[in-house]
Amino acid sequence: MAQVTLYHWEPNANSGKPMLTLMEKGVEFESHYIDMLQFDQHRPEYLAINPQGTIPAMTHGSRVLVESTAIMEYVNEAFSGPELMPKDARDRWRVRWWMKFMDQWLAPSFSMIGWSVFVGPIVRQRDPAELEAAIERIPLPERRVSWRKAIHGTFSEAEIAESQRRVALGINMLEQELGKREWLASDTYGLADINGFNLAYAIPLSQPSLCNDEKTPNLLRWLRAVYARPAVKKCWALGRTDMVKRVAVLDGEQI
Amino acid sequence: MAMILYHGAPNGPSLIVLAALAETGVDVERRPIDLLAGERHVLPGIGEAVALDMGIEGEGPVLVVDGEAMTDAVFLAQYFDELSDKASLQPSDPYAHWEMMMWCRQITERLSPAAALLGNIEFSQETLGAMSDERFEELAGRIVSADLRSRWEILRDGAVDLAQIVDSRTKVLQAVERCEKQLGDGRKWLMGELTIADLATFAWLAGMERVLPESFRDKPLTTAWLQRVRSRPAVASVLADCGADVATFWAPGPEINRWG
Ligand SMILES: N[C@@H](CCC(=O)N[C@@H](CS)C(=O)NCC(=O)O)C(=O)O
Repeated sequence: MAQVTLYHWEPNANSGKPMLTLMEKGVEFESHYIDMLQFDQHRPEYLAINPQGTIPAMTHGSRVLVESTAIMEYVNEAFSGPELMPKDARDRWRVRWWMKFMDQWLAPSFSMIGWSVFVGPIVRQRDPAELEAAIERIPLPERRVSWRKAIHGTFSEAEIAESQRRVALGINMLEQELGKREWLASDTYGLADINGFNLAYAIPLSQPSLCNDEKTPNLLRWLRAVYARPAVKKCWALGRTDMVKRVAVLDGEQI
Repeated sequence: MAMILYHGAPNGPSLIVLAALAETGVDVERRPIDLLAGERHVLPGIGEAVALDMGIEGEGPVLVVDGEAMTDAVFLAQYFDELSDKASLQPSDPYAHWEMMMWCRQITERLSPAAALLGNIEFSQETLGAMSDERFEELAGRIVSADLRSRWEILRDGAVDLAQIVDSRTKVLQAVERCEKQLGDGRKWLMGELTIADLATFAWLAGMERVLPESFRDKPLTTAWLQRVRSRPAVASVLADCGADVATFWAPGPEINRWG
């Protein structure tokens, strides 16, 4: 069988989505860690695989795949192992709707806050000239803007406030949705849950007043249920930074 | 199971869904609504409104099944395709399917916000500007999503950011260039066979021929492909149904990416 290689950063957000999908499917893959904080994703070796300079990317034999959510669907379709999409067409629609809503509306808001409090402060310690040269190597112009904002801490108050509004609203929406059924988008565990867990696993820690056993019991029930899966344990063990160790908050009996 | 499709004139997201419906032959009751009059926000009999209220596509069609409002044109097209045993608008090979999904995602993420912004400025701003304050406030007050509401307000006030307009023109041109490159090997459809990628790309690009003709200059393959999609019987019948000048129908669409 053709070799699978995944180029990924931490088991978190876009990188974590295909990582966990491969592990749930039981697909053996070569893990190629791209250190985002060292700008590995903009080095020529990686740009040869994904010219956009974003992570993740996956190769399967001679095929190169990008776009984390589309990769998840590919992995589910191309390999045997547990089925991660529901059978019913309306359930499948709901899976896709939620993944897009998370990818394009909710995750960017989490991400902006994460970059302002986590990524920016770490990277900013380095030599300014070296950082400026690193930014100049970023292929996508919109990413250059994002990195500059993170490094110089120049997010506007209005954009951070809008992200906070979306995070609070998104937590409520997830809570309500998970009150309707066991898993996020259908009655079976699958891609929407994998996607959602990557977005939400650390919310009880980062937003303790919005997400706790009292306020969001369904969200926590679901986070714990996903966390209990062997594939999740295996996947999060690949993390190297303190950021992903936040998942341990889910060990708590009362959050 | 009765299905009701509320849709606008066949342009942008409504065109994607109407074309997919015509190609697949799924049986649905069609109810045309005026998206620019905010009619999407007062639909009857919705028990499950999450997707209606919070869909990030903006003013697109809504399919109601068992009281659940379903939105997002590409996903509705997939839904029809998966219900139907007639057409197959999605490749069955996983890699070809990935290519189609990736293409559609990049179209909806990059081209559609840009095209919606430019189309709305050109064709909808005046209508909204002419609305009485009272009527507009009533309309806007019914929009649940605060960020969608603010896109309506910005458009009405003519307060669109110039940088976004410039960027949107670039995004449209990039999409045309992408199509030209994709069609470079002489293929008939974007993915080889006809798929949802053709319907989605056509639906957002066709209206841009009027707004940004210079983006299509020296792009013979894309121009011929647009014509090929336009003259498919299913697409042609949907366009003819409307009668009016379809490319002039716009209503606030997805937001321009706000992060990265
Ligand atoms: N839509 C893409 C986005 C990929 C993406 O933006 N990845 C982020 C990490 S989560 C990244 O590469 N950031 C580093 C950079 O842009 O330099 C996907 O879902 O794969």
